[in-house]
Amino acid sequence: MQDNIKQIEQDMYQAGYICDDKTATTLFLSEALHKPILVEGPAGVGKTAIAQAFSRMKGLPLVRLQCYEGIDESKAMYEWDYKRQLLHIQAVANKQLDVKEVEQDIFSDYFLLRRPLLNAISCPTPTVLLIDEIDKVDFEFEAMLLEILSEFQVSIPEFGTVKANHIPYVFLTSNATRELSEALKRRCLYMYLDFPIPELEEQILLLKIPDISERLARQIAEVVRKIRLVHLKKAPSIAESIDWAQSLISLGKDDLDVDTALRTLNILAKYREDLVKLDQMVQTQRSLNFLPVLGSQSGGVQMSAPQTSKPSELNPKQKFSMKSIEGFKNVKK
Amino acid sequence: MSFFYTMQNFFEALRHEGMPVSPSHAVDCYEALNSIDWDVEDYFYSALFSTLLKDYNYKPLFDHVYEHFFKSSPCILRLKGQQVLSREDLLGLEGENSQAGDVSGDINAEGAESQGTFINKSSSAPDGRKNPLSQDFRLDSIDDVRRMETLFPIIAKRLASKMIIKNKRNDRNFINFRRTMRKSMSTGGIPLDLITRRKQKERPVLFALCDVSVSVLQFSCFALALLASLEKFFQHVRSFGFVDEVDEITYMLRHADPFTLRTNVLKNARVVGRRGYSDYGISFKNFLERYGSQLSLKTTVLIFGDGRNNWGNDEAWAVEEIRKRTKKMYWFNPENKDTWDTGDSRMREYLKYCDRSFEVTNLLQMEDAFCEL
Repeated sequence: MQDNIKQIEQDMYQAGYICDDKTATTLFLSEALHKPILVEGPAGVGKTAIAQAFSRMKGLPLVRLQCYEGIDESKAMYEWDYKRQLLHIQAVANKQLDVKEVEQDIFSDYFLLRRPLLNAISCPTPTVLLIDEIDKVDFEFEAMLLEILSEFQVSIPEFGTVKANHIPYVFLTSNATRELSEALKRRCLYMYLDFPIPELEEQILLLKIPDISERLARQIAEVVRKIRLVHLKKAPSIAESIDWAQSLISLGKDDLDVDTALRTLNILAKYREDLVKLDQMVQTQRSLNFLPVLGSQSGGVQMSAPQTSKPSELNPKQKFSMKSIEGFKNVKK
Repeated sequence: MSFFYTMQNFFEALRHEGMPVSPSHAVDCYEALNSIDWDVEDYFYSALFSTLLKDYNYKPLFDHVYEHFFKSSPCILRLKGQQVLSREDLLGLEGENSQAGDVSGDINAEGAESQGTFINKSSSAPDGRKNPLSQDFRLDSIDDVRRMETLFPIIAKRLASKMIIKNKRNDRNFINFRRTMRKSMSTGGIPLDLITRRKQKERPVLFALCDVSVSVLQFSCFALALLASLEKFFQHVRSFGFVDEVDEITYMLRHADPFTLRTNVLKNARVVGRRGYSDYGISFKNFLERYGSQLSLKTTVLIFGDGRNNWGNDEAWAVEEIRKRTKKMYWFNPENKDTWDTGDSRMREYLKYCDRSFEVTNLLQMEDAFCEL
């Protein structure tokens, strides 16, 4: 059994994804127990990539359903191609055919538009079904999904029930913008992908970018780790560090220095506030240590800070001196 | 001690700490354990983690209990040679487990001294005890406030997504016949494309009146900051802070992060008048005088406060007048409903003129209340 998990780790590596023991165990379990995996974690840590790599590893087609607000069955499961149906009716209108026959005709497979979920189920080979950003859908859709994930069949009233030939491997990803229903969570194995430790990130960089030198990979992993410790609106994820490494290489750099970093910081920081903050840190310290500077932590880009307030008052440590507030309360009583 | 009992106690400890572990979770967990090798701790941990934990918020709690059970006592090592549960055992488990679930209350009561309390003694665990969103607003320490603030972006996001969904749902399914027929001309009168009517979204103008006195400060600032972050759902949000004097604080909210809001408001707005204790009467009166002309029937007034007047005049007529000039008026009170109208609280007088009132003691309730706007 242990070999199985090690094997998965290796195969996933071949498929371009490095997973640690824990991740590999969960993948193994989902296969053994035939359960979907619910993957959560910050944006850009490879939630979607794990499903893609899994499908590459298994050599199976990946069916992807990108969820969004307001997605419904007709976009996710199936839809009747009613334009074509109407044209068909028009075409046979003059021929005086039996109504029943026509009806059977227009609700046949030919007029069915298959959407991802139906596709994944009716595929003759097993598939990897990736349901991306499940937290975006509304509750009705989630309930419907629940049925599919437990029964692996789709019933089409005019047509009959389509049962899965093979149970697909299902990955659900979520950014936790809202809580998923208990029922859905209960059916899934839970996996949480977090920012990787620097050693792992270094390996990922080496795997993803063949041209990169080990030294640069290590440097990048280390610097990104430090940046993640800074309080930012959006901490850079693996996707960003890969982008960064790639752009450094295309700039012909093999070594990370302060000036290069300054020019390319915009690849890591996706918000102006973050960029300004990081920029300031590098400028004032002339190093890539990203140590917190007093005052710049909360005050640096405060646009609303009125002229009267002194910088020291923006120190986060001072902002709610609850003791004095408690005292105030007593006075009030 | 058999392995089965260890696991059962483990589940029990998790439940006792407030993590929902249902019998079906337990069965999953056994199945998972059955199909992996326990020699490697990562595998073992991962099997438990992926089958029992369904919410990342519970991770610290889970880790803590896990450590107590399987790290401090060398459980895994002892279990190494032991026979893994057989298939038959597993099938039998389902029944047993649901029983275990039923009597869990009793077990809890008995084992509370020996089992459950060990975590309470340590300092780090209580975080996980409750869903942090249902934590009370009345906070004792700075740490509590901090923790609450880290939840802030999450709740704002969730609320935003709920409101989007709510808005979307409203404008489905109304067919615009005129445009549909017009479009069908090109296809010989067959309406190939149904054109739906978009319902005109009503985006209310919000006037938020907020008690920023010390007794309800936490609450009002959370409320204000949440409102500010939801600005795109309303046509216009104007916020006013008051203690015993009213001042507009909209501009402070617009770009501020909730972390510095509190001090900002108190420092830079004239919200404190002569006495320095919250006085709803004077505040409402002044509000009506100064901003009354800007109210219209499109306006919705939200009042955040506990209605504790420090025995001042309640001036309920001012509230009545404000209500008359506006479309809706809601009151959000951070106190428990039981304590309304006790002591110097004038809720009863004011509520006469409010369309609805909400008891908002934690973020979850606040989320729900806002959703109904």
